[in-house]
Formats: sequence, structure tokens, C-alpha cells
Amino acid sequence: MSYLRRYWLSVVAILVSGVVFLLPFAFIVLTAFKDQKQSALRDFSWPDGNYLWSNIVEVVTTRNWMLLTAFINSTILTVASVTLLVIFAAMVGFVLQRRKTRFNGLIEFLILAGLMIPPAVVPTIWLLQGIGLFGKLHGMVLIEVAYGLPFSIILYRAFIATIPRELDEAAIIDGARPFDVFFRVILPLLWPVTVTNIVVQSVAVFNDFTNPLYYLPGNANATVQLTLYNFQSQFQTSYNLLFTNIALITIPPLLVFLFFNRQIVAGMTAGAVKG
Amino acid sequence: MAGLELKSLHKSYGEVEVIKGVDLSVTHGEFVVFVGPSGCGKSTLLRMIAGLEDITGGELWIADKLCNAVEPRDRGIAMVFQNYALYPHMTVYDNVGFGLKLAKTPKDVRDQKIREAAKILQMEHLLDRKPSQLSGGQRQRVAIGRAIVRQPEVFLFDEPLSNLDAALRVDMRMELAKLHQDLGATMVYVTHDQVEAMTLADKIVVLNGGVVQQVGAPIELYQRPANLFVAGFIGSPKMNFISVTVESVAADTVTVAGKDLATMAIPADGTGIKPGDTVTLGIRPHDLLNQAGTIVGEVVLVERLGNETNISLKLPSGASWLVVLDGDHDMRSGQGVELTFDPARAIIFGADGAARHKR
Repeated sequence: MSYLRRYWLSVVAILVSGVVFLLPFAFIVLTAFKDQKQSALRDFSWPDGNYLWSNIVEVVTTRNWMLLTAFINSTILTVASVTLLVIFAAMVGFVLQRRKTRFNGLIEFLILAGLMIPPAVVPTIWLLQGIGLFGKLHGMVLIEVAYGLPFSIILYRAFIATIPRELDEAAIIDGARPFDVFFRVILPLLWPVTVTNIVVQSVAVFNDFTNPLYYLPGNANATVQLTLYNFQSQFQTSYNLLFTNIALITIPPLLVFLFFNRQIVAGMTAGAVKG
Repeated sequence: MAGLELKSLHKSYGEVEVIKGVDLSVTHGEFVVFVGPSGCGKSTLLRMIAGLEDITGGELWIADKLCNAVEPRDRGIAMVFQNYALYPHMTVYDNVGFGLKLAKTPKDVRDQKIREAAKILQMEHLLDRKPSQLSGGQRQRVAIGRAIVRQPEVFLFDEPLSNLDAALRVDMRMELAKLHQDLGATMVYVTHDQVEAMTLADKIVVLNGGVVQQVGAPIELYQRPANLFVAGFIGSPKMNFISVTVESVAADTVTVAGKDLATMAIPADGTGIKPGDTVTLGIRPHDLLNQAGTIVGEVVLVERLGNETNISLKLPSGASWLVVLDGDHDMRSGQGVELTFDPARAIIFGADGAARHKR
């Protein structure tokens, strides 16, 4: 009785989060096991038989193994953009926090503007075409870096403020040049935020659907999120294949998240309170 | 050799001038201590020598080299910070060797130097630890070790002991004195702790408001302070001051009297002082004696420590004094007390605040 009175709210919270977070996932997995006929019903029923393997084979081989190309493209895109994001954002955050100039206000405004103002697609395509990067993977990398930079800079800057300036000064007296100070002293100390940035940004880039859709046309350029269009069309959608595809492309971000999960919280809260 | 020469050094932050023309000459192997109240510019001056602050005006010479525009790494200095500033992600070994690594010193030479420094500071057993696994005193040792391996011309210390607890501070103070003896290097030390200044220094520089008040050996500063500020700053407890009127001036003595003081002849330089002038008389709490004499006051508070007795005194003019008497004295607050002092121990300060020591 007293247990119920004490924990009823926790029980309700757990049930609600289960419904919100686990049910959709269960629906994806269940549908991935069904055949086309049963999946078309789109209900929460147990699969009649195990069609998972044939679904997977079909999804992977569709359109001349497009999913594999997509996985390779997405991996290159994610790794390249996140690497650049981490290095550039940490550098900007470091300089912005440590060097006070009269341009700081303007730079901070531009960073915030980057967060708030929605990107305009047509001018961006026009610009990319002008410099010959439209429809190229490295052009896409630059776009992801540009979109992700403001958020990463803000995370880094808050954390760098907690690193005592004496550390820079000690390094300078020890004979460190600015790049030594950054790469040998500051960057290693930023590890908790770097992990946060890696997780948040790689999931965002990997799961990005709209930007590759606009800026990376062509089958050879497909990223994993775009393969979802292989199985739905105006008049017919193969739900079993669509959900198998979803299940397959959810695995990499899930792995990243599980791997870095413990460190991410430290990075998110660090800088918020001085400790 | 590796001396240090400051020539009319200035520092301004925009309109605000914090260092107003400091001249100082330090010979090789001297231990110089900068003291002064908070915000007097002592740390700024040290950081200017280190190269962490730009020099607005004047010249800085380190070992006969003009260093105004020289990068910190090329000045031949090493610095120990108040909060140690150890690199948290490196072991003690790497912390100490960081500067050598940046200078691309060969690995075997580096190793030898690090172990040598560790031996001097008795921290060989700590080399594999991270700074977070060290106590405050050990961290300070590592910070000093990092300075030693650079074999600098000049060591700079920015309040290195103020983060340590009292007992450890005394130990580290002695170790620093010993280190100075062993290395024979020039050291510049910033502190607001008088005891550190008095015990460590060959030469003390008293700063106030960005201006050097007096430079001299510790005991000289104590016995012959140049002005009211130095007299009040050096020595603990603080020197007592009263304002008195000059009655007559002779060759070597000035006779003064006042509301709180019966007529007394004080040995002093009377040049420029006329009868009728108001001057300030300073007398240290330890120099007052509990005998019938020239000063009468009322006891406000008594602290009996056994070996000495501290008394807060209220004088007839309302001024409050502190008296330290040797031995134990049973006194009560509200009680009247009569004191005297050796006139040779008192110092007269002119209206401009400058001391009038007997020549």
C-alpha cells in the first residue's frame, strides 16, 4: 500500500516513457518481420511468419545495391563533417573565449544568427553551382559543417570558460606557440564536450534527410535517409521493406549513442555549473 | 650576468594607469620580493616581466637583453602560478617535461633533466601520477619542478604559497629558501604575506598604487621605513601613529608634544621642520613599555597569550593603539594604563608622509 503511494508517479512515468519511446520501435521491428500483405494492414499484430531475411535481402539489393552506396556515402559524410566540426568549433570557441576584441559582439551575433535564421535552399544551391560543389559529397560536407557550427561553438565556448587561463599562460611560458597551446593543452581537456559534440552532430548528420535531398541529387550520391524513398510512392508503398530499411539504418546511430552514452551527460552539464 | 633591470616601466589599461614608472635593478642571484596591498600592481609587474602583459612604456632588461618585445619563451624566465596551473591530462613526468618537449630536447636529455629536478624536489615517486592525485604541497612542488627544468635566468613566483594551509606554507617557505641557495638563481616573488617577504627576501620592493614606495633589505624596511605607507605596511601588528605638534627643533632632535603625548625629544632629522608644525609620530606596538611615562590610555581589550599580552588602547584624543607587552599582564578593560617608549625607537614623519630619520 505504502509502496504504491510512494512510487505511483514513478510507475506512471516509466509506463508513459515506455509507450512513447519503445512502442514505435517495437512497431518498426514487428513490421520488418512481416510480408507485404500483412504489413499493408499497418496494425500492431504479431507477424504471421518470419520474412525478415528475405526483406533484408530485398532492401539491400534494391536498385543495384543502393543501400550499400548510401551507407558508404553517409559514413564519409558523417565522419568528415563531424571531424571538421569538432576542430573548427573548438578553435572558434577557444579564440572567442580567450581573446577579447571589439569584434566579439558581432561574431557572437553571427553565431546566434546561424542558429536562428532558417537556411535558404535556393541561394545555397546557386552558390554551390557557382563554385562547382553542387551535387558533390565534399560540398555536402561543407554544408553540414556550416549548419552544425553555431551549436558546437556555443557548447565549446561555455566549457572553455571553465578552463583556467593560467593553464594557457603556463604553456606559453613553457614555450608553447598558439597551436601548441590549443592542440596539446586545451583540446585534450575538452574531451567531455568533444564526445557530446561527436554524438549530437554525428546523429544529426547521419539522420539528415532534407539537406541531402536538396543538395545531393543523383543515385550515386544517395545517403541512407534517401533510400527510404525506394519503397514508398504515390500509389504503392511496401511497408515491410520500408520498415526493414528503417530498422537497418537506425543501427549505426544507436551504436554511437550506446558507446558514448555515459560520457555525453558530463559534456552537456559541464560548463553549466562550475565544479 | 643574469640580472634584471626595470627602467621607468609603465602599464596602462586604456585610460587607467596601473604601473606608474617603476625603476628597479636586481643583481644576479638576488631574491626579490614584491609586496603591497591588493591591487597595487605587484602581480601585473611580475606578469610584465614574464611577458604575459604588454609593456606600455619603459624598458625591461633581462640578463643584458632588452626584452620589451621578446616572446615569453625566449626571455629565459620560468613562472610558478598561485593555482599551480598544472596540465590536468598529463602525468607529473609530462608536466615537468612539457617545456623541454616543446623545445624538441632529445629524449634522453629530457629524461635526465626531469629526474634531476624530481630529485631536487624529492618527488621521484610521484612522476607517474596525474595532478588530481596529488596534494596541494605536491602540486606546488611539481609546478616548481616545471620551472627548474627550464634552467631559467630568472624565476618568477606569483603568490605560490597562498593556496596552501598554514603548516605546509611554513615548510614550503623554507624549501624555497633552500632552493634559492642551491640554485643560486635570480628569483622574483610576489606576495601579500609579510612573513614570507621578511624571511625569504634579500630585497623587498614595497608597491602601492603602481608606485615603488621603498626598496631595501627586510630589516632596513622594518627599522627605517621611508614613509608612512611602508611604516604601516611592514611589521605586524601595524605601527601606531599619532599626530603631534613640534615644540622645538635642534640639530639632531625634534621635540614634540600632543594631546596624547607629554613633551618628548625624538632623535630625527629636523631639516625643514619648524616649531608649530604638525607631524606624525610612529611607534611600533612592541616598542611600548608598561612603565609610568609619557602616554596615558584606557584599556579596551586584552588578549593574554602567555608569552605576550596584546592590548587595545584608547588614547585621550580617541585614537586607538595596539600595544604588545612581553610576558603576562593581568589587565582589565576600562582600566587606565601608563606607557613609555625609547625615543630612539620612534619615527617622525613630516607632513608629506616622508620619514625623518636621524642622519
